[in-house]
Amino acid sequence: MTERKPIDDDLLVRLHHGTAAERAELEALAARDPDIRARLTDWQRQDAAIRALYGPVAEEPVPHRQLRLFDRPARRWPRVSRIAATIGLIALGAAGGWFAARLAQPPARGADLVAEALQTHATYSVEVAHPVEVPATDEAHMIRWLSKRLGHRIAPPDLRGFGFQLIGGRVVPSATGAAAVMMYEDDIGRRVTLFVTRESGQAETEFRYSGNGAARGFWWIEDGLGCAVVGDLPVDTLRAISVSAYHDLIDA
Amino acid sequence: MPFLDEVEAAIPALRRYAHALLRDRSAADDLVQDCLERALSRRILWRRQGDVKPWLFRILLNLCRDEHRRRAARPVLVPIDSVSEAGGSGGQEEFMNLREVHRAMGQLPEDQRAALLLVSLEGMSLGEAAQVLGIPDGTLASRLARARAALRRTTCRAPDRPDDVRGHRP
Repeated sequence: MTERKPIDDDLLVRLHHGTAAERAELEALAARDPDIRARLTDWQRQDAAIRALYGPVAEEPVPHRQLRLFDRPARRWPRVSRIAATIGLIALGAAGGWFAARLAQPPARGADLVAEALQTHATYSVEVAHPVEVPATDEAHMIRWLSKRLGHRIAPPDLRGFGFQLIGGRVVPSATGAAAVMMYEDDIGRRVTLFVTRESGQAETEFRYSGNGAARGFWWIEDGLGCAVVGDLPVDTLRAISVSAYHDLIDA
Repeated sequence: MPFLDEVEAAIPALRRYAHALLRDRSAADDLVQDCLERALSRRILWRRQGDVKPWLFRILLNLCRDEHRRRAARPVLVPIDSVSEAGGSGGQEEFMNLREVHRAMGQLPEDQRAALLLVSLEGMSLGEAAQVLGIPDGTLASRLARARAALRRTTCRAPDRPDDVRGHRP
């Protein structure tokens, strides 16, 4: 590609926004080639125009409603260092998290969502022969099926980094319609259930924790989707898995 | 810098970007508001030790895509701010007609506009912008090249040589 003549815009873009060495290479190219020079000059003019047009917004005072967002959390969370905050979060642990969830009074639908997810996990994770309806060996079909029933693209998060392999999925009933269920298993047979529902019109929630007995779950409602990650695992492990699943799901 | 301070410090850039991307003042303010609310409620999910800013831009762009999906079912006309409102500092006309560039930016497909603004307005490198957009570097390079070429054409600076304007890429 670098040998191609005339040099194409993709490569110029890469060099232009690349490392110092790449930019130097580009300057050398431009010095030899008036056409490249013309294009670069033009891009610089585009950038100057774009900054002139849109840059001044950043100089405006920030609207009050945006600044107000920082009042409440700042009181709730004293501005200690991030490390201390992180330690605090970890220290919250199971009991603290459970308490916090209790105190925070989850909205009605949130409580139902968790109950459904816990119930689903309790019902299917103990199944030896039929924990799932479509096995992970047929993942493409599972994705199509779950996405179709949910009316939203659903792809199973990759939890192999935590030692959990996808074993498959199924559809189960939920108060809001069909729920997509994906189940994972690690090498010692522990299982994690990912439970996803459509929650049209439901208010978004924070990332929350709920538990009953051994099974516990992290859950949230966002973008019309309700998700719960349930498993009989240490809270910190489950939290890490849930955070990873959250990122995979919003990126899907 | 503590998390909250970092988020707060990023607000001007988020506003600048949202305004340029959406070209509508109130829609942009709403988008930034949603972005900040989501970031604050999700701070437990912020796992990187690096800058908060790229993460905020990712949230903002995700919200933006969601909004488009919602709106797809119910198309509406998006009002376009006048150029004077969008910026309007004078003195740059010697380089390019700002009104023309604003119009040309509006004609770009939104994914191209989103990409170009990350590098040219926000000053991100190719790698940083690709990460924010969640696409490979190569895909972003082609997208930027297409955006640059389209801007060049619509601001009447494209030369006649056909190879300057690249064909469509996958």
